[in-house]
Amino acid sequence: MKRLRFRYELDLKWDQAVWDHHFLIRCLPVENGCQHREALDVRIEPAETIDVVRDGFGNEGYAGAIRRPHDRLFFEAKGVVQVDRSGETEPFHPMYRFPSAYTMPDEGIRQFFGEIGKELGMESVSEGLGPVQEEPFVSGAPRLAPQREHEKGRISQSKLEYVMNRLYGRFVYMPGATTVKTTAAEALSLGQGVCQDYAHVFISLCRLAGVPARYAAGMMLGEGASHAWAEVWLFDQWLGMDPTNNRIVDETYIKLTHGRDFGDGAIDRGCFLGFAGQSQEISVKVEEIL
Amino acid sequence: MRDMVEHMEGINRLMARYGVKFGIYKNREFYEQLFPFDPLPRVITAKEFAYLKKGLAQRVDALNFFLADIYGEKKIVKDGVIPEDFIFSSKGYLPQCEGMMPPKRIFSHISGIDLVQAKDKSWYILEDNLRIPSGASYPMIARELTRQASPRTFMRNHVTDNRNYAGMLKDVMDHVNTGGINVVLTPGRYNAAFFEHSYLAERSGAILAMPQDLYVEGNRLYYRQYQGKQLPVGCVYRRISDEYLDPLCFEPESLIGVPGIMDVYRSGNVALVNAPGNGVADDKGIYYFVPHMVKYYLNQEAILKNAPTYLAFYEEDRRFILEHLKRLVIKDVSEAGGYGVVFGSDLTKEKLEELQQIIIGEPRRFIAQEVIDFIDLDIVEGDGSVPRKADLRAFVLSGKTTQVWASGLTRFSRNPDSFVVNSSQGGGFKDTWVLSQ
Repeated sequence: MKRLRFRYELDLKWDQAVWDHHFLIRCLPVENGCQHREALDVRIEPAETIDVVRDGFGNEGYAGAIRRPHDRLFFEAKGVVQVDRSGETEPFHPMYRFPSAYTMPDEGIRQFFGEIGKELGMESVSEGLGPVQEEPFVSGAPRLAPQREHEKGRISQSKLEYVMNRLYGRFVYMPGATTVKTTAAEALSLGQGVCQDYAHVFISLCRLAGVPARYAAGMMLGEGASHAWAEVWLFDQWLGMDPTNNRIVDETYIKLTHGRDFGDGAIDRGCFLGFAGQSQEISVKVEEIL
Repeated sequence: MRDMVEHMEGINRLMARYGVKFGIYKNREFYEQLFPFDPLPRVITAKEFAYLKKGLAQRVDALNFFLADIYGEKKIVKDGVIPEDFIFSSKGYLPQCEGMMPPKRIFSHISGIDLVQAKDKSWYILEDNLRIPSGASYPMIARELTRQASPRTFMRNHVTDNRNYAGMLKDVMDHVNTGGINVVLTPGRYNAAFFEHSYLAERSGAILAMPQDLYVEGNRLYYRQYQGKQLPVGCVYRRISDEYLDPLCFEPESLIGVPGIMDVYRSGNVALVNAPGNGVADDKGIYYFVPHMVKYYLNQEAILKNAPTYLAFYEEDRRFILEHLKRLVIKDVSEAGGYGVVFGSDLTKEKLEELQQIIIGEPRRFIAQEVIDFIDLDIVEGDGSVPRKADLRAFVLSGKTTQVWASGLTRFSRNPDSFVVNSSQGGGFKDTWVLSQ
């Protein structure tokens, strides 16, 4: 178990005033068997109305509105989180089996997956890339979903680590090469991107392999920006895998949100009226309390 | 009846004045066209309606149980009755709605169920519309005008009055209302069904609201009046589709949504009619499983039949589809409004082969159905009448009880060779008479 002190700052500025601004900031460390919020202090300026909300994925956040004209929104959350990876994660949900908007595989991703499958001697997996085959329909009785690869125990953690390693080798970390709208397919064909893109491509590959996977956003030890990685459902637990750093998520990571992809798990969302250019600064600091 | 035919032109002229129009987008441009009214009604006997009523209420009850189950415990999936693929990879499934229970546990308050009657007089369900089914206003205003034009017709025939629809709608809204006014939320003037939004609001005593009239504060929804006064809203009959409803929850670039409305809804502080996320239950793929749902949730046999349907997802069905493609109608499950529907018999040999390859490549996307030779209804043309294909959209309202409106929208195809009757494909409509004895 580790105790981590964190600070998450979001500073949004506009070059002219905006108004009727609604926002949703989901930056509370997730509370589950692996993470516990020991202390939390949140500051939102200017604050008019703020509600604590929970979304369909189980993420918590602050929803608020600022009606009067303003040219800045400053948000700060700080506190202490206990992280213990031996704890229980959230239960399974079948939505994480299927491709989502950002992680829809294209020919490029399928081909890359095929290569990896061959190297692993898992050609049957790449053959099974098409839609899942069902048992024939017998006398009107409903049919059960077939066993997926991971349930047959064919994909082990070491194989997924191999997939991650291959992606790590194929991809170059390059801030500015992609945007928040870049899909997994686009990112892989570029061969470069940031943590969001690494996570999307990895999730897409895992789902092709029949392993449920999801997107996680959060923070890791050190100082800098927020981070994103993937979680895979393996042996009845969610296991965090960080393809940007080619490592398994350990107790130096703090998860803030999860969802099928970035679209679900974005830390902040907002809409406002006005004709202004927006700049955004996120600064994150996490240190271990020894 | 001759009376009515004589008044046809006058009634259509009045409808044009009232704005009984249908808007369609073609090549990204908005066109408005009249929704032509044919004066010869579809007539349903009292006995036949009693049967339909029972079957439709049963179907909608099962669909409501299904929706509560999917966004809750998911027992029907765990018990293996419906494969996960047809739920969690469906466009209509919204994970944002996970764990939500709408006021009074009703998801589909207004269900538009499309049926056809085959030549042997038996009825088949064509599709369920549980999101924002439109069309009730057309037979309402048609009845209003035809009664004025020809009171005699209605004195001689025992037709159940259908002008109670607005009252039924109001009862549903009042039943689920969490405290506050009822509003009909319209995206505005350039929506295909704007006439209907304004008409239903007026008739049901609800306020017609544009998105900017509503706002969220302190986990409550308010309507902003001209003088700046704020009224709490307890029920929103929203005619904006799910993905545009709340930019903080769904499509972030939506300009016609109400930011934060989903949080208010999740807290149980407002009712949304119909519930967001209903699309998972009216998908063309899930249609196949509705009779299973009736059995599973109600422990009854489905009274109303589905058209014989094959799922390309299942290998055996797929083989059947590929073999008999020429006589089947193929539907793309992700499309609606009569789009993505192909009749095998219309295709050339090359096109058939192309379609076969598409189906093999993406079987989850397609269902195939036997073409039901449904009955023709006469429509007026020139001095006489001609037979045309027609379907029926029945409206089922779920409030305190599940009720079936004793009328419905009968749509017909003006093209003698077409089976597609959707208004977005340029058809017309008739009044639907349910006889009272």
